[in-house]
Amino acid sequence: MVTKTEETQLNRLENQVDNGGGGAWEYLCLVRKLKVRRSEKVLKHGLSILNDPKQRSSLGSDEWTLYEQVAVAAMDCQCLDVAKDCTKVLRKRFPESKRVGRLEAMLLEAKGSWELAEKAYASLLEDSPLDQAIHKRRVAMAKAQGNISVAIDWLNKYLETFMADHDAWRELAEIYVSLQMYKQAAFCYEELILSQPTVPLYHLAYADVLYTLGGLENLQTAKKYYASTIDLTGGKNTRALFGICLCTSAITQLTKGKSKEEKEGSQLQSLAAKVLEKDYKQRAPDKLPQLTTALKSLTLSS
Amino acid sequence: MGSNGLRYEIAQNAYIKLVLHSLKHPTSAVNGILIGRISPSNDVVEIADSVPLFHSHIPLLPQLEISLILIEEYFSAKGLNIVGYFHANERSDDSELGGVAKNIGDHICRYFPQAGVLLLDNKKLDALKKSKERSAIMQLYVRDTSKNWKLVPSDANNRFSLKEPSANVVLLDYIASEKWNGIVDFDDHLDDISKDWLNPGLFN
Repeated sequence: MVTKTEETQLNRLENQVDNGGGGAWEYLCLVRKLKVRRSEKVLKHGLSILNDPKQRSSLGSDEWTLYEQVAVAAMDCQCLDVAKDCTKVLRKRFPESKRVGRLEAMLLEAKGSWELAEKAYASLLEDSPLDQAIHKRRVAMAKAQGNISVAIDWLNKYLETFMADHDAWRELAEIYVSLQMYKQAAFCYEELILSQPTVPLYHLAYADVLYTLGGLENLQTAKKYYASTIDLTGGKNTRALFGICLCTSAITQLTKGKSKEEKEGSQLQSLAAKVLEKDYKQRAPDKLPQLTTALKSLTLSS
Repeated sequence: MGSNGLRYEIAQNAYIKLVLHSLKHPTSAVNGILIGRISPSNDVVEIADSVPLFHSHIPLLPQLEISLILIEEYFSAKGLNIVGYFHANERSDDSELGGVAKNIGDHICRYFPQAGVLLLDNKKLDALKKSKERSAIMQLYVRDTSKNWKLVPSDANNRFSLKEPSANVVLLDYIASEKWNGIVDFDDHLDDISKDWLNPGLFN
């Protein structure tokens, strides 16, 4: 997961390298560190370093890390010849390596040879049953083949052992959302909020899921989590601000006549509306008229 | 076949925007809203424009509701309505209209009862360079009398067509120049409101 600052930094570097301003190795290291998926750029810039003997040798032992990174990027871009070449180089350098074995299995995956890949992963797991990356490849394979329920099973099993893997919880939540299994998705976000209570993304996602589930109690809780998102992001999160307005409107629809809710609710909503209008006036003034009408209609219904 | 007998015609810019959006996010499902009106002769739904919506968390309501409110507000001032929904599946070998797309389609029908749902045809997109395909690389679904979404078969009746016959030629050109980089969707707007989901100047 990447913060806005990190993303800006990455994009700046990417622009620089794209426009011939150098910094390819820094870019590739940052991509690795942030674990983002920019396979086309990685392939392009990584290959240009690897194909230049001078630049390659200046990397020292980092050369092998680069081969691995380019191999995976090549697989993601379906440039399987490049991937095969990189993997061969690594296999020659590290003949006994399990890590290279994993790459070779991934290559089978990229080719669509599911059964062979499955066998390769199974045998790798026999020797290293706690290799998290391999477990996750199996989930990815199930997902790629459209066996979503199998992917869910594998992922749940994985999380029984590796319950601190936040990325896995997020993946599971997103799979549940894609199947409209919102209750189960909510559970995943609850786990994430419990273990990392200061990450606003989880509060926001949880609120979104609860709003989608609907019902008075869920809406009231959603509103609380939109509020905590606003708190954690210094009031800058547009989605959370909109969320407050949507929740208040929906809650009032469901509780017509209960004056206690209305007073409390409308204060927060009008605050959120004010912040939104101020922000749009500053940064998207041509969209302000629609926003004002939209917010009015949401407030009117509350 | 749909019970309404209406034809659906999509303008080049609306069509290309949706395909470019799908290409910008090749690893996730994407969706969009179709904007237009019924022809004065009452027999054609003219899709004049489109708004790319999301590339993440598509089945979540809050972002959908807000985007629909704002989009409708903007276009009704121009005499245009929300007339349909576009969806592209996450996996290239998935050619079915899934539950999420159907549900959102139903939601759109509340705005416009004869709403059509367009599903990106991934195989046709893949083959576009070589096939010289002239018809839209999308499938049209409409609701039958029991409110089930049914595929409109592409036959001589031409129930779904491109307004400009050379749209795919222009599309291929834009693909070659990687024009998808310039597409802004509602997700991008919600992350940074200075990004304009109207994509003005995209085709300049």
